[in-house]
Amino acid sequence: MKKRASWGYTAAASVVAFILVLPLLNTLWTSLKTTADINSFPPKFIFTPTREHYENVLYAAGYNFPKFFQNSILLSLFTSLFVVLLALPAAYSAVRLHFGRRKMLMFSMALRLFPPIIFAIPYYLMFQYTGLLDTVTALVLINVFLNIPLGLILMIGFLQELPYEIEESAKIDGCNVYQILWKIVLPLMAPGIATVAILSFIFSWNDYLFAVIVSLNRSTPVTLGATMFITSWGIKWGDISAATILSILPPLVFTFFAQKFLVSGLSMGAVKG
Amino acid sequence: MLSSDKAAKWILSAPLLLFYVLMVLFPAGYAVYLSVHDISLGRTTSDFNGLANYWKILRDGNFWHSIGFTLKYTVIVTAAELVLGCLLALLFDRAFPGKRVLLSAVLLPIMVAPSLMGVMYRLLLNEHNGVATYVFSKLGLEINLFDPDVVVPLLIVLDVIQWVPFTFLIMYSGLQSVDKGLAEAAAVDGASYARTMLQIILPVITPIIFIAAFLRGIDAFRTFDVIYVLTNGGPGNVSKTASIFIYEMAFKSGNIGTAAASSVIIALFLLALIPFFIRRLGNA
Repeated sequence: MKKRASWGYTAAASVVAFILVLPLLNTLWTSLKTTADINSFPPKFIFTPTREHYENVLYAAGYNFPKFFQNSILLSLFTSLFVVLLALPAAYSAVRLHFGRRKMLMFSMALRLFPPIIFAIPYYLMFQYTGLLDTVTALVLINVFLNIPLGLILMIGFLQELPYEIEESAKIDGCNVYQILWKIVLPLMAPGIATVAILSFIFSWNDYLFAVIVSLNRSTPVTLGATMFITSWGIKWGDISAATILSILPPLVFTFFAQKFLVSGLSMGAVKG
Repeated sequence: MLSSDKAAKWILSAPLLLFYVLMVLFPAGYAVYLSVHDISLGRTTSDFNGLANYWKILRDGNFWHSIGFTLKYTVIVTAAELVLGCLLALLFDRAFPGKRVLLSAVLLPIMVAPSLMGVMYRLLLNEHNGVATYVFSKLGLEINLFDPDVVVPLLIVLDVIQWVPFTFLIMYSGLQSVDKGLAEAAAVDGASYARTMLQIILPVITPIIFIAAFLRGIDAFRTFDVIYVLTNGGPGNVSKTASIFIYEMAFKSGNIGTAAASSVIIALFLLALIPFFIRRLGNA
């Protein structure tokens, strides 16, 4: 009786999960079909898979997909690096050295409230003036701005959960603040740093608005690149699907292999911020 | 406090403070400066024109339409996602076979770029070979992204598919932290499941629900990617959000001054909300 009931929950959850991942599954299917199979109507649900669209996207002339992918990787890696480098020391200063913790939190929370489009115009002109338009550097600066509020809120949250005793005894043993931060806090904060880094990586990987505004072609990331396939290449659904699947791969890998960090980060970011 | 600590707290905060000055305060001031100048994209000169940009934008029906649409969209998707996310969280708040895998699957949409979600929806819904088009046509329904009557409800459904997982995640984490003894005690006292949830669990997780609503609300209000990819804000300006309106005003029409004025108006509106939210979140 009890057993049957819990399988009922599995069935209900499976139906919901299926609806939620349907767009992804449909894209995956399409990317593996031949062009003839894609264009058959009614749609074919049974077909012989092909690699041709992935080969097109990765190797065919005229597509810059590998370059888009490289831009996204650089953009996301440097964004997470700088978010951690800026947020961790500032959070430490706020929590342990009492550098206006409440004000920092308030300011970061307030920043989350504003739609980023508000900053689009000044950023565009600033980057035009400094010659940074259409560079990955500009995108990194913008994405650090977009991710620093959550990064700071999380770092402050994680630091508050660390026991102070270890740092205190290190202090008595004659360590200065920087030694404590480097030798004691940094290793203890590893899970917090990983959470902030992974979330910043995914969110900057997914940014589209500022890619549209700042990128012309040199710095185009995958989010913009994949949508460009639609307008500039007619309806090559197979290639578009393959490009989309490749583009969502890094965030999906994190979802499956670092889920613990994502769940703790997103829920903690919500509760603290 | 040691004097070295005093220096350290400034040294450690300096990079972030510098970043905030450079990437928040300066651009904010610059936006206000632009909003009182007659300036357009690609033109090097600008003339001070006082509040003319504000006057122009406040009388622009398209601006108010985009604000109205964005508010309506935000309220509807947030409400729908809260209710569905809450129900889903209640479903997952128990042990059942395959829960781990299903939880991962349910969380997937949060991690997908909204713009790429837009591409995937277009594939699903396109009129030549879309699977959804086919299934709907079998049910006798015509779903066309370019039909003004259909586009808004459709965009709402698509938003719900991507973001119910987010409200679910927040409320699921909230439910995990509720003492299981509460529900058990109520059950022992003979309360039904529905009554236990409504009268005992719901009040406990109300702060969490408020936070989920707040976070989802501010994100829905800034919606750009998925709608821009799917409809470009059209047909006409039926699905034009405030973000798309400002983007087009600045970068398509080149009216930097007027677009900056629109940004400042929206920022002022949100600024007025801050004390309210901080008080509510402080209580939570």
